[in-house]
Amino acid sequence: MQGASSGVGYGLKYQARCISDVKADTDHTSFITGTLSLREENEVHLIRLSSGGTELICEGLFSHPNEIWDLSSCPFDQRIFSTVFSTGESYGAAVWQIPELYGQLNSPQLEKIASLDAHSGKINCILWWPSGRNDKLISIDEENLFLWSLDCSKKAAQVQSKESAGMLHYLSGGAWDPHDVNAVAATCESSVQFWDLRTMNKTNSIDCTHVRNVDYDTKKKHILVTAEDESGIHVWDLRMPKVPIKELPGHAHWTWAISCNPEYDGLILSGGTDSTVNLWLASTSTGDGMTSESLVESPTQLVDPLLNSYSDYEDSVYGLAWSSREPWIFASLSYDGRVIVESVKPVLSKK
Amino acid sequence: MGVDDVPLDDKAKRMRDLLSSFYSPDPAMSSSNSSKFASLDAINTTSFDADQYMNLLVQKSNLEGLLQKHVEMAAEIKNLDTDLQMLVYENYNKFISATDTIKRMKNNIVGMEANMEQLLEKIMSVQSRSDGVNTSLFEKREHIEKLHRTRNLLRKVQFIYDLPARLGKCIKSEAYADAVRFYTGAMPIFKAYGDSSFQDCKRASEEAMATIIKNLQGKLFSDTESIQARAEAAVLLKQLDFPVDSLKAKLFEKLEQLLQDLQLKREEVTNFLEDSNDTSKTTSTIDASVHEFAEAIKAYRVIFPDSEKQLIKLSQDLITKHFEITEQNIKEQISVAKFLGFLRVIWRDVLLMDEVLNEAFLPDYSLEAAQRVVKQYVAITFSHLLHDISDALIVNIHMKQKEGVEENPLQVALETSKNAVLKGSMDVLVDLRHLVDDNLGLLLKLRDSIVDWIQEGFQEFFRALDDHFLLLSGRNKSVSQAQGLTEGKVVDKVLAGLVLVLAQLSVFIEQTAVPKITEEIATSFSGSGVRGYENGPAFVPGEICRIFRSAGEKFLHHYITMRTQRVSVLLKKRFKAPNWVKHKEPREVHMFVDLLLQELETIGSEVKQVLSQGVLRKHRRSESNGSTASSRSNPLRDDKMSRTNTQRARSQLLETHLAKLFKQKVEIFTKTEFTQESVVTTIVKLCLKSLQEFVRLQTFNRSGFQQIQLDIQFLRAPLKETVEDEAAIDFLLDEVIVGTSERCLDPIPLEPPILDKLIQAKLAKKREQSAISL
Repeated sequence: MQGASSGVGYGLKYQARCISDVKADTDHTSFITGTLSLREENEVHLIRLSSGGTELICEGLFSHPNEIWDLSSCPFDQRIFSTVFSTGESYGAAVWQIPELYGQLNSPQLEKIASLDAHSGKINCILWWPSGRNDKLISIDEENLFLWSLDCSKKAAQVQSKESAGMLHYLSGGAWDPHDVNAVAATCESSVQFWDLRTMNKTNSIDCTHVRNVDYDTKKKHILVTAEDESGIHVWDLRMPKVPIKELPGHAHWTWAISCNPEYDGLILSGGTDSTVNLWLASTSTGDGMTSESLVESPTQLVDPLLNSYSDYEDSVYGLAWSSREPWIFASLSYDGRVIVESVKPVLSKK
Repeated sequence: MGVDDVPLDDKAKRMRDLLSSFYSPDPAMSSSNSSKFASLDAINTTSFDADQYMNLLVQKSNLEGLLQKHVEMAAEIKNLDTDLQMLVYENYNKFISATDTIKRMKNNIVGMEANMEQLLEKIMSVQSRSDGVNTSLFEKREHIEKLHRTRNLLRKVQFIYDLPARLGKCIKSEAYADAVRFYTGAMPIFKAYGDSSFQDCKRASEEAMATIIKNLQGKLFSDTESIQARAEAAVLLKQLDFPVDSLKAKLFEKLEQLLQDLQLKREEVTNFLEDSNDTSKTTSTIDASVHEFAEAIKAYRVIFPDSEKQLIKLSQDLITKHFEITEQNIKEQISVAKFLGFLRVIWRDVLLMDEVLNEAFLPDYSLEAAQRVVKQYVAITFSHLLHDISDALIVNIHMKQKEGVEENPLQVALETSKNAVLKGSMDVLVDLRHLVDDNLGLLLKLRDSIVDWIQEGFQEFFRALDDHFLLLSGRNKSVSQAQGLTEGKVVDKVLAGLVLVLAQLSVFIEQTAVPKITEEIATSFSGSGVRGYENGPAFVPGEICRIFRSAGEKFLHHYITMRTQRVSVLLKKRFKAPNWVKHKEPREVHMFVDLLLQELETIGSEVKQVLSQGVLRKHRRSESNGSTASSRSNPLRDDKMSRTNTQRARSQLLETHLAKLFKQKVEIFTKTEFTQESVVTTIVKLCLKSLQEFVRLQTFNRSGFQQIQLDIQFLRAPLKETVEDEAAIDFLLDEVIVGTSERCLDPIPLEPPILDKLIQAKLAKKREQSAISL
């Protein structure tokens, strides 16, 4: 299972946690990533995979005022992205625009479009409208869920609605349902909560503990994948929230990040604190659903869902992103600041 | 002559040919003519040409030869002359004798006519005489015939009149057969004249017959009479047109009654059997009654030869009931000996009955029933085994832990369950081996099937065991949900220790129990016959081993996960609660270290109870008891920590990177083995890794960093003591500190003396506490 290191590497200067696919860039396969350094000058890197796919080129290097805890690219404008940052004592979130003539400038400054400054606690993440041009944004902090309306031209963001998760629920992250734009999944300590954005009410919840990351299957409705600390990866069908339809063993330590492939159904990527990235093929098409993993696998279940394990990392992998332009390519980011872009084609062709 | 021959040739030759062809039908002659030169010697043929012959002879032979030929020829001619003469004489002789004979015949034939006439006359007279005699004797003969008939009639009448007396005599002498014969003989007469001339006679004899019938009935029903006699009685009754069917029904009822008695007796016996094991006495009573029943059947059959169907049904009922009782008994766990006892009794009965009633095919019938019962027995045996094992596990862990009596509940549980598995399986095998080895006819026929069932049983048993383990471990969520709410409660409270025991038990089954069982099966249950070879043997130890190997690994993994989860919760609480950016200066080692160590201690004790020690035990450090030497981190790091703030912070990251480059990559996530050290090490590693990850999510001020530094430093000694892979632990602990320093706004470490002092204070406090508790 040890994949030969076919990946293309790129080194960031400092430690880093987050990487995002630049969806809006339809001409190149590019990713954006930001460093996490408490005491140094933090940077945002715009990287592009060369057309041959053999090299990662730094398209832009911008300084960012604080360490970046979350970063996501705007789905409709390749120059816009959002970050969640921390000064060490307090958190902030903002939407940034890459300056137009950055190629000529020596050390170009990012242009802050809007500051999402309604938060008080620790901010977890910012979610963009799943696809297409829309002014909606969601930001999640530990206690609240904010729905923003962003006006790029006016460079302003307004809180449309806000809802508190309730007492004793510390939110830790979330995902926007690509099939139902009114639904958002938010992870908290002991469950995954589902919110309806129209009413800002909790509609449903799945009981599962220590969820680190959550992702919707972009191809299939109702399918949600969660990454949990100890217990690996669970695939859920939201129509049957009691029992997961699939369990994957996950990683030797925690499973930190999870990402469903935007094109290939059931192809799941997970990054873990055991310094590996695992590629899974968990066919979610089992209609009967109740094929939860058991110790005595029937012969059909004996097919190992683990397609490949990329172990060429020095530290925990926190950042994962599939390329939406070339969906067989993903970028991974380990804590030591190494970006590795791999293609899953050789693994898939073997199957 | 030769000269003549030439002119003659054409004409003469044609003429001769024509002539010879006319006289001789044989075309071969003419052809021989054409080749006349060739056949010199053809002197005997009809177409012999003397001239030609001469010509040829003269031409071919010399004088001497001709002379010789001449002599030869002369001799031949002379011979032929004598022969001819002889023939003429002989013929003449015969002619003369024939003439003589004809003359004599003529003379003899003259007196014949007169003789014939005489003969005819005599025959005629004989015939007339015989007719005379015939007519004269006719009258007398007729008279005699009439007299004879009268006499016969008289004798019959006499017989009829004598009949009652004779019957009475027969009754006295119990010669019922004779009586019946007489009576049936007289029957036609009674029928014809019974109402008139022989009224008295008839009545008297009927009375006599009534007594006879009564006697016969009595005889039929009396058990003391011999079967022969009873059968005869039945036959006689039948001859007397007595309604036998009702008798039959009555007798049959009696048989049924007998059967019920038998059943009752048997039930008593089985009850009795349960009370005491004194089978000899009870079986003998059963025996007797079955014997009786068999005899009765036999008699019945002889008496009523056409009653098989009923009897077959009756006997099958008997067997069925037998098996029903046995089945009931099986449900309560009975020993093989008892089970065999049952079967033996049944088989003996069957054999007894079979002797009497061959048509019932009782052996086959009972074979089917036995098949069912034995199969059930095997299945039940295995289910009991499963139950025992699960009891051994649950009782020992759940109950005793609650009571808190046992010192090492896990160890006890493991040992008892190991024992339950191995000894239980062996016992089952030994027991079932009795079934196979028993030379009971019934079981001999089933032997192959039994072997198959046992093998299948084991296969199924292990599968079920695996499922059960899963259920116990609570690993299989869907199963537990399928089991419903009743089980749900139990599953919720699955103890990590139980999972560990299950893991070790799985390994034990894979490595010890299954090979042993396989061996045992191979020796005593080999050669499965019924099952086709294409299906392979029913018991596949390889598959079982595979199942349990993977199960063992998964349980172990599950145990580790459960344990690390608990630690994670602990750590999470620790890191969530304080505001690390506003942390106060460290005064003592934090409480959570105690909790962590306590948790590890529990794990250690659990692991020690269940798992074996690893072979490769690293030598312990001599100065491991938390002394200053070990608590001090390596000088390089201290050196690094004491540098000036800004400079160090910059260089530190680089330095760690460099250190990582040069340091051999420490394998943190190695494969866990089934040893105490390996499991503990894995858990500690995972916990430290979790600690590192938690640290990375926080931001610390200087005091927060120092607090972590202090806690970690304190942990260093006790952790190393419990753990196999010291290098990895060191590495991970360092990583935590490095991670904290990276996440620290102002990473200035504690001075070593202060660090040491605080640790010593903690140790002293701990000692004090343990002293108090002791």
